[in-house]
Amino acid sequence: MFDRHQDLKTIRRCKRGEEAAFAEILARYRGPIYNLCYRMVRNPEDARDLAQEVFIKVFRLLDRFDEEYAFSSWLFRIASNHCIDHLRRNRMRFLSLDGVTGPDGEEFELQLPDEGPAPDTVLERGEAVARLEEVIADLPPHYKAITLLRHQQQLSYEEIAEVLQLPLGTVKARIHRARAQIQQMLADRSYDI
Amino acid sequence: MDGRDQRDHRAGHGLDCPDCRLELQEYLDGTLEKKRSLAVFMHLRDCAACRADHDALQAVFSGLDALPALEAPADFDAKVLASVPYGAYQAMASLRRERVPVFLEEQFLPAWLRARATRVAGLAVAAAVAFAFAAGAGAGWLLAPGLAGLGPELLCRLQGAGRRLVGLRRAEG
Repeated sequence: MFDRHQDLKTIRRCKRGEEAAFAEILARYRGPIYNLCYRMVRNPEDARDLAQEVFIKVFRLLDRFDEEYAFSSWLFRIASNHCIDHLRRNRMRFLSLDGVTGPDGEEFELQLPDEGPAPDTVLERGEAVARLEEVIADLPPHYKAITLLRHQQQLSYEEIAEVLQLPLGTVKARIHRARAQIQQMLADRSYDI
Repeated sequence: MDGRDQRDHRAGHGLDCPDCRLELQEYLDGTLEKKRSLAVFMHLRDCAACRADHDALQAVFSGLDALPALEAPADFDAKVLASVPYGAYQAMASLRRERVPVFLEEQFLPAWLRARATRVAGLAVAAAVAFAFAAGAGAGWLLAPGLAGLGPELLCRLQGAGRRLVGLRRAEG
């Protein structure tokens, strides 16, 4: 799907200091990385920030990029790890907000705004999409990442194994479990898609 | 195990319901081996229960594949590029190199040792010593200059391998 040879040429130009080369990388991967981040965190502002941080990180790490691997794999690896870290950090933050003790010693639960899409947006995008998005959002982060790499980025099992640096067998097993979990969650919520 | 699993749908294609359900995901992915894929296809033709499983799973696959792509915000590139100006990147080049162990810096080896003439002369000495030994004319005292002759080439090559390992040459373009 992504042109490995073309990417390598662009990366080499980047390293030589050609300013336009990194803009080419951005143009090529802005969409896929933003979409991956959005589906991972399901919040447009967080997705934008995360995707931008991914590109900045990639730029700073360019000299560590191993040309033995596809640039796209390296980029997706950094992006999925970045999103997984973000989700874990947020989960910790939310957990620590449960049962906060007030100044008078009374325990209360902080009400955080729902960061999901507004109800009218849900209707606009169609119920099936909204339901699937809701289910994906509730998947554990590593299942979410692998599902999105397969179905949104259309990567092959082999490419996903390279991205996540996992054995092919583990990738297959994890994707199968993720899909089974999606199916189960849809059934549990009586969602028809 | 539900009732449908006890039915025998093996006839002609050697696949039962539990096996078929195990293969369904790879079948839909198109990654199943051809013979196995045909067996699943034949089983699905004969087994309504597995066909229902197949259809349900296919709906999930189609739904996931069809999730709409979203446009990144209009100022996305500008913000990224503003955060990674090339000037700063180029200015950081020396800092990036500092992360490399000092013995991998080219200057760590003296210039005379890195010089092609020294390396070639060293190899010539080592080759002459080896030839002397092969011809039966070698003496013990020749071993030291022979090994010393290999030194420059060996050190340069070791440093080169180390630099390649940390990607220094790639970073230098």
